[in-house]
Amino acid sequence: MANIAKKVSWSGRGDDRGERTPLLNGDEEVKYNRQDIVRSRPKEIPHNEKLLSLKFESLDYDNSENQLFLEEERRMSHMGFRCLEIRRWVICGLIGFLTGLIACMIDIAVEKLAGYKYFAVKLNIEKYTELGGLSISLILWAVLNSAFVMFGAIAVAFVEPIAAGSGIPQIKCFLNGVKIPRVVRLKTLVIKVFGVICSVAGGLAVGKEGPMIHSGAVVAAGVSQGRSTSLKKDFKIFEYFRRDTEKRDFVSAGAAAGVSAAFGAPVGGVLFSLEEGASFWNQMLTWRIFFASMVSTFTLNFFLSIYHGKPGELSSPGLINFGRFDSDIVQYNLYEIPLFIIMGALGGVLGALFNIINYWLTIFRIRYIHRPCLQVMEAMLVAAVTATVSFAMIYFSNDCQPLGQDNTEEYPLQLFCADGEYNSMATAFFNTPERSVRSLFHNPPGTYNPVTLGVFTLAYFFLAVWTYGLTVSAGVFIPSLLIGAAWGRLFGILLSFIASSQSIWADPGKYALIGAAAQLGGIVRMTLSLTVILVEATGNVTYGFPIMLVLMTAKIVGDYFIEGLYDIHIKLQSVPFLHWDAPPTSHWLTAREVMSSPVTCLNRVEKVGRIVDVLSNTSTIHNGFPVVAHTSENDEPGIICGLILRSQLIVLLKHKVFVERASSRLSQRKLQLKDFRDAYPRFPPIQSIHVSQDERECMMDLTEFMNPTPYTVPQETSLPRVFKLFRALGLRHLVVVDNENRVVGLVTRKDLARYHVGKDGLEELHLAQT
Amino acid sequence: MDLLTKCTFVMACWAVTFITVAECSIYPSEMSGDSARKLPSAVVPVSQASTLGSFYSLSLSSTFPEDLGMNEYCIELLRIYRQRYVTYANCLVTYARPVKVCQNCYTGFNSLEDIYKNISSDQPGPGNVGCHDSLMRSDRLMLLYALFSKLDEIWTSAECKQCLTEDQEALSNDTVYFMATLNQSLACFEQYQRNHTELCKDCKASYKRLKELYGRMDKNQTLCIDLEDAMNITQQLWSKNFSCLLPREETVPVIAVSSFMLFLPIIFYLSSFLHSEQKKRKLIHPKRAKSNNSLMNIQDKFS
Repeated sequence: MANIAKKVSWSGRGDDRGERTPLLNGDEEVKYNRQDIVRSRPKEIPHNEKLLSLKFESLDYDNSENQLFLEEERRMSHMGFRCLEIRRWVICGLIGFLTGLIACMIDIAVEKLAGYKYFAVKLNIEKYTELGGLSISLILWAVLNSAFVMFGAIAVAFVEPIAAGSGIPQIKCFLNGVKIPRVVRLKTLVIKVFGVICSVAGGLAVGKEGPMIHSGAVVAAGVSQGRSTSLKKDFKIFEYFRRDTEKRDFVSAGAAAGVSAAFGAPVGGVLFSLEEGASFWNQMLTWRIFFASMVSTFTLNFFLSIYHGKPGELSSPGLINFGRFDSDIVQYNLYEIPLFIIMGALGGVLGALFNIINYWLTIFRIRYIHRPCLQVMEAMLVAAVTATVSFAMIYFSNDCQPLGQDNTEEYPLQLFCADGEYNSMATAFFNTPERSVRSLFHNPPGTYNPVTLGVFTLAYFFLAVWTYGLTVSAGVFIPSLLIGAAWGRLFGILLSFIASSQSIWADPGKYALIGAAAQLGGIVRMTLSLTVILVEATGNVTYGFPIMLVLMTAKIVGDYFIEGLYDIHIKLQSVPFLHWDAPPTSHWLTAREVMSSPVTCLNRVEKVGRIVDVLSNTSTIHNGFPVVAHTSENDEPGIICGLILRSQLIVLLKHKVFVERASSRLSQRKLQLKDFRDAYPRFPPIQSIHVSQDERECMMDLTEFMNPTPYTVPQETSLPRVFKLFRALGLRHLVVVDNENRVVGLVTRKDLARYHVGKDGLEELHLAQT
Repeated sequence: MDLLTKCTFVMACWAVTFITVAECSIYPSEMSGDSARKLPSAVVPVSQASTLGSFYSLSLSSTFPEDLGMNEYCIELLRIYRQRYVTYANCLVTYARPVKVCQNCYTGFNSLEDIYKNISSDQPGPGNVGCHDSLMRSDRLMLLYALFSKLDEIWTSAECKQCLTEDQEALSNDTVYFMATLNQSLACFEQYQRNHTELCKDCKASYKRLKELYGRMDKNQTLCIDLEDAMNITQQLWSKNFSCLLPREETVPVIAVSSFMLFLPIIFYLSSFLHSEQKKRKLIHPKRAKSNNSLMNIQDKFS
């Protein structure tokens, strides 16, 4: 354990570089590249979406059934297994509880900070409206925004870049089986929470819901391990769960709890986990995940009720509360369904436009704005411009509305309106985005005039496109909902102009909801879970059918142009992501073409020196090694008898489990599975393990530790078959053998993920160091 | 089965009897023959036919026997209720526009509330009779209750209590002070009726004082509909009639600052495009099985 202090990633140099490059692309990188060019291999291309990064590895979802494992299972009593099950439930409860608490904390912090900010700006605006000098208010607003965002962006860019963005793409990858470096660490959680508070309070066009999902996942990964490597604290509990298999199950529970806390949608949360990550799913897991979701929404509810001074009143379930739709405006008629479908198509088109613009922007950002200080500056500029645009809109708006009796405007701005009236544009801009969404849904007809809504939609659309992908932690849910709600409401108002005589059915609030669904569906392209989330968040099952129709249309129309936003970002991060199915028209590809070959194999009893050399070889970073009966001197491949992982070898080397020492080891305790778990998940790098010259000559017997029955396929297996095995079993290595069971190749995730369908048929992605 | 049917029948009989008796007591003295005919015809074949016969004859006359009708005391209470109700409703309508109900009708409301409480108190009056049941709860219309509750609702939503003293006997000091301030402003408006520009200048002080006072009272929750309405009208006078709006005269500086802000990102992106080193990726060649036609094909196609 002591070795871990030196923070070097165990997969050696390549991995380490990979972790660093997005952070600081210093001169060092450039020099390195130049050397490379001199070495006459100008294989350098600008970053694009058709790359697979080397820094990503698979999770070990498949259980290694070696002798240690069997032994442990034999030792464990029936009672022991019962206890494990109970512990799983306890962990899920804890995950839900902590996630709810975090959500509650974020909510309160944002409310307080944004409250102070808006109060200060409002006072200032009121003062200068009378005296003159409103440009000072504008500057004050911009500076306050930038200051908040600066703190958040500095934390993200300099401390933990993986905390940027909504975190949903990263969690999606994790659930898909890709180990994203540092994505589920405590440090990431802290930065994420801090960053979200700063960016929402800083008035960016962002929401705090997406990051909740990431936070839930981190909580889950942390709690289930019973320790924190960041804090170097081990609680000595839940040791059994220190495996990728268990961790990933808990992470899916955490993601569900996050969704549930964010939207007050426990069922939606479960379905989110199911939709985004469920290649491995079973009934009990679903039930546990549902439990975590429920606990999370209940916890949030409970603590918010205390905060609002009504302890025990459990009716504010989510971070975002869309409010309830009254029953008389809820009704919709058969003849409205075509209208809904049209809106869905519109949402699909607008969503695709959003994604395309964001795609180009993100490529530009990856290529040119990769230094942390530039990233912070960019975020600050966006914050300042957001404030400026908002202010200009409010300033030049002539839309004045009378203050209502039950008006919910927290900070009504009068500006140049008559006394007793307020500026309608200010309700949309001078507010946190969630409140704006709510007022768009629920304010009575006539609260907004069409021009205001049109201008607002346009401005907010571009602000949101520009904002997503900045180096701040922030989600895209709320801005999408807000854009959609604005144009949806506009749509509703225009409808009621057309149907002037009986305008009862064209309630703008209803169309705002449908528009919001369409826009969000057009951007993120989620289907089942999004429908349920929206239904749950509005507390209204009546709209289930229209929302489903709208999301369906939006997805179909949007997919015609470009993929969903999260998929784009996953691609741009060069993650080897396995989709549900192998690309179509790939049956002609066989395992022989897909696999990597030749394979570095180890003997059943191998020399320590060779193992160390293989592990330290930086040009080929392998993680799994087929163990063969015995390699002949010529190139004949050996007969497979097992598979051993790099992490296992490292633990073996660290504990010096050599054949020559077997006699002296009798006095020592035998190596147990626990020793492997203790090193998890940050196995020390090979460089940190000292092996003396004498020891290099020793032998190591791998029989006990290797997985004796790895999955193998014959060379003629088609790609879709291999793919299915990978996807369904969560494999990391698949050994390809010939007729006589001799190892000829090894298929890993990257070998499979590189095939995708492009414009001219099947294309292959390049592997690259990023 | 037999037993069950029998039971049902007995129950039905009992229920019908009950309904009949209840409905008898519903109708006040001036029950019209029309409504009597609407009584359920199913009643007739039941064993109570003899009672019903007398009922039909009674229904046309204007009085009930003493025990079914009401005693003198309750009738007296009803009469007082009627008077006060009319007075109060009259007052409400009189002062509906502009709203001045709180200032003028609180005595009416108080007395009406008194008599209502009296009736609903259930305390036996002289002769040991309570009028609560007989006046308020003996029919499904429950007219007295409905009438009062509607007016009470109006009173509550007008928030008149906030303008009155604790015991609701007089206007509170705050209200009186607000009225005085309001009158000052109105007097000022009156004075400069002709010249709006001058009005906007000279009455600004008193109007502003009024606004501040209103804001304070809003915070303390000492506003009622009267004051809100008065303030609304004054605000409309000020903003719409005299159009004393704040001028939008800083357009130029705001545009200047905004365009400067909007210009910054353009500079930022241009400079980072020109000066920042473009990020390059180093391609890695994976180890592959030695040449296979189909594999070559796909790689050729790609490159």
